Amino acid sequence: MASSTVIHADITIPPTPDTWTPAPPSGAKIAEYKNRRLLPVGPAYLAHARRILNKKTFAEDDRDEELKAADAIAAGTEGPIEDDLGVGDEPESRDLLLLDPKDWKNQDHYKVLGLSKLRINATLDQIRVAHRKKVLKHHPDKKAGSGDTNDDALFKSFEVLSHPERRRQFDSVDPYFVDLEQDPPTASQISASPEAFFSIMTPIFEREARFSKIQPVVPLGSPDATKDEVEGFYDFWYNFDSWRSFEYKDKEVNEGSDSRDDKRYTEKKNKNERARLKKEDTARVRGLVDLAMAHDPRIKRIKQEEKAAREAKKKGGVVGKGKPTAAQLAAEAAKKAEEEKAQKAAEEAAKADAKKAKAAAANAAKKARRAARAAEDASGSGTPA
Amino acid sequence: MSSPQVNGTTTPANTTQRAPPVVGINFGNSYASIAILNKDGVPDCIANEDGERQIATALSFHGEEMYIGNQAKPQLVKNSKNTIVGFRNLLGKSYGEATSMKSTAAPIVEHKHEPAYTVQVLEPAPAPPSIQPTPKGSHAPTPLQSPPPELAEPSYISKTLTVSDVASTVLGSLVNSASDFLGQRIQGAVITVPARFPQKARDALSKAAEHAGVHVLQLLDDAAAASLAYSSLTAHPTEDRTSLILDLGASSLDLTLLSTKQGLVHSLASSHIADIGGDAIDDRLIAFFAKEFTKKTKVPLSPTSSDPADVRALTKLRLAVEHTKRTLSASPGAASCSVESLKDGLDFSGTINRLRFDIEMKPIYTAVSTEVKKLLESANLDPVLLDEVILVGGTALLPGLSTQLSTVLEESTEIRADIDPSQVLSRGAAVQAGLLFNLGPNDPLLKAFHEDCKALDAHVTTKPISAYFPSEEGSEEICLPLIASETPLPARRTVSFVAQLAEKEGEQALGIEIWQVNETVKVEKTKLEVDPEDEEEEEPEEIETRHRVIEKDVQLGALKMDVVGSRAGKKKKGPLQATIMLTIVINLDHSVEVLAHQKDSSAAPVTLKL
Repeated sequence: MASSTVIHADITIPPTPDTWTPAPPSGAKIAEYKNRRLLPVGPAYLAHARRILNKKTFAEDDRDEELKAADAIAAGTEGPIEDDLGVGDEPESRDLLLLDPKDWKNQDHYKVLGLSKLRINATLDQIRVAHRKKVLKHHPDKKAGSGDTNDDALFKSFEVLSHPERRRQFDSVDPYFVDLEQDPPTASQISASPEAFFSIMTPIFEREARFSKIQPVVPLGSPDATKDEVEGFYDFWYNFDSWRSFEYKDKEVNEGSDSRDDKRYTEKKNKNERARLKKEDTARVRGLVDLAMAHDPRIKRIKQEEKAAREAKKKGGVVGKGKPTAAQLAAEAAKKAEEEKAQKAAEEAAKADAKKAKAAAANAAKKARRAARAAEDASGSGTPA
Repeated sequence: MSSPQVNGTTTPANTTQRAPPVVGINFGNSYASIAILNKDGVPDCIANEDGERQIATALSFHGEEMYIGNQAKPQLVKNSKNTIVGFRNLLGKSYGEATSMKSTAAPIVEHKHEPAYTVQVLEPAPAPPSIQPTPKGSHAPTPLQSPPPELAEPSYISKTLTVSDVASTVLGSLVNSASDFLGQRIQGAVITVPARFPQKARDALSKAAEHAGVHVLQLLDDAAAASLAYSSLTAHPTEDRTSLILDLGASSLDLTLLSTKQGLVHSLASSHIADIGGDAIDDRLIAFFAKEFTKKTKVPLSPTSSDPADVRALTKLRLAVEHTKRTLSASPGAASCSVESLKDGLDFSGTINRLRFDIEMKPIYTAVSTEVKKLLESANLDPVLLDEVILVGGTALLPGLSTQLSTVLEESTEIRADIDPSQVLSRGAAVQAGLLFNLGPNDPLLKAFHEDCKALDAHVTTKPISAYFPSEEGSEEICLPLIASETPLPARRTVSFVAQLAEKEGEQALGIEIWQVNETVKVEKTKLEVDPEDEEEEEPEEIETRHRVIEKDVQLGALKMDVVGSRAGKKKKGPLQATIMLTIVINLDHSVEVLAHQKDSSAAPVTLKL
């Protein structure tokens, strides 16, 4: 009642003719008034009295009431408004009510709980709130007779999502994302223009990032990322470590069968299947990264830049009036060459020194040996034979 | 206190309810009803401990016991001198003005110029505290009032109860029932009163209620309560309408013509006819059954006889036909009436079917419809302009009445009984009680509800204001009603509508003209086609059809706005159109402001001041 209620008139008016011009105000006043005595009843009279007694116009009164309502909410006098943690209310399709709880593996648990916007980002508290909301709404006692209850499906969904390990397994095969994965971008789509590359690939990598064991994930980055950033990105994604697993798709061991062989057989099959799916998934991610790398406009740009640098180096210092970067590169290259030369000379000098030293050492050794022999001879001649 | 209501079957208190502790009371001359707001804020008429939603406003003393409500009614047969009925209409009157309606019940005596009743009560039962509200003067000055302790034998003493004592006792018991139902003390009550009640009677009633420990939030006019009960039902409570409240109670017929404009209610005309009502129907029914009894048993029983045996028999019959009437209202079949030992030890059992009943009651129905016509004439309101008739009061439930009314009224008038007519008043009062209770006890606005307040007096428009849309020459003009006549000021109304645009891109102009219009009724007479083969019919019958006609009177102004169209439909292939919000405000100083803007558009609204 903050502002006046809008009445929807069920009429459609024809277009105004071009020839029409608004008549000037006629100056006519509204016909004479009568005095009546109101009956003090109902909310409308309350609002009327408030306006009259406080001498407020409609607009002023609306504002006052809005402020009052805001104050009441702030003061909590409006009653305990339960914080739903941003779960909100989602429209429910008729199909959700007709879910077969036996077929729980194929139901979209987030959709059942009304969390299809949050999905993997929903916190455990949000899941609890959402479940509570739905249970209150669909309790069989409330819907007795109508058959419109998906209570069992609700329970299953909550059971899956409230258990961290089972939720992780479900998140791995969340049908919403699996649908999105079904059509990977083609080379022609992403190579159409640099903008297309980023608009298509950024959400894909953001989506895939949810499976990373290492968080935070290196993002695709902006079109003008540096070489290091781009290399870091591809480095991360080629070594992508995913927690995605496919236990959710396991076939149930045939219930009632006590046969150990049967059980082992199924388990083995499941294991193989899981490994196969995991391999496929790893290949899929790798394929995505390959695709991205092949068409990444940044890599082309970096290559070109490097090429330009090389060319600049070849031209050496000649490029005086060229681009400042090229000149710089050339200068750098020249500097490097000089340094290399100096180093070489130093090394050569050192080599020569070493040779001399070696020769001197050899001479000294020779001298010593000779002296020793002479001494031996002298003593030997001195003793009687 | 050994009142029989203690042994009743009160509904167990539901402590989880968060309903406001308020009650709406319809305190009629013959019957009362109580309603509370349930936890969804919806008014509910509740049953008292006896399981009755229609609680007789009667009080009876028998021995040590005091009977209130429907249990007091059978006492009229054997113990009529100690049974008090029909006291509400005596509230606030002096002894000289008071006239007893019923000769069978306790006679009115004078007590300090006030009407009062003298009843025999068995002592030493302690008198119920609620019947001694006035500390001085109420007790009968008899020496037996404090008998010596050794006189253990109970003895009858005379007690004098003023009308307000009785009212206070009955009101107290009604509020008790409600607080037992809610499981918490009632903190406020709205009591309905007839519009014709003078201030003196209103004061006496609120005083009696305060004595009973009931905090009266407001004494609400019957018609207003009925209107609120219905407007709280609808999704559009501010919808303009003109309604006739037809309150057919036990002892009188009250007609009130109400205009509800933007939720504000005021009365256009009203009338009160004392001798049409449930009692008159009872009288006819009694005469009918008495005749049948005489025919069957050859025992004379005349409805006008004053022989004590006859009077007792007629009282018995009166209690029994009450049931017959209710059966007839509730089911389409016949209803029976059986009384054991009606007269001279002879039992009576008779039936009456609906057709017979309607024939017997025809004079009463006709009288009601005549009164309705008279009121419409006196208010100068054409029947076509009457939007609805709201039936109120237990007697209005009788199906023959609405049939009779529909023959008098136009087809456009809806006869409404979606809420049980016997519960309408209390429900409306409960809604009002909830509204006032939520204001809080210290809100200055409360004054506006029970004091003479300047908010009560309002100027109303006399002619409707409509918007017209210019169109090609020759095509019919479309009229969009904005403000109805009889709308209290200040008034504001916002209407949204769809405007078809010319098939071109970009901004286009849209014109709106504001006109004051005349609302008249056109009567068309059409002759029924005469069947050529039917030679007997000589004069062709004429049929009158009435239409509401709206004619342009004075153009107040016009405004031109620029709109950008969008295409409706799924594939945006629909016609180019725009949704326009048009707001009109008539201020207290009679100036008019018109604002128009396109919905979902950031453009500033186009305004027109007149």
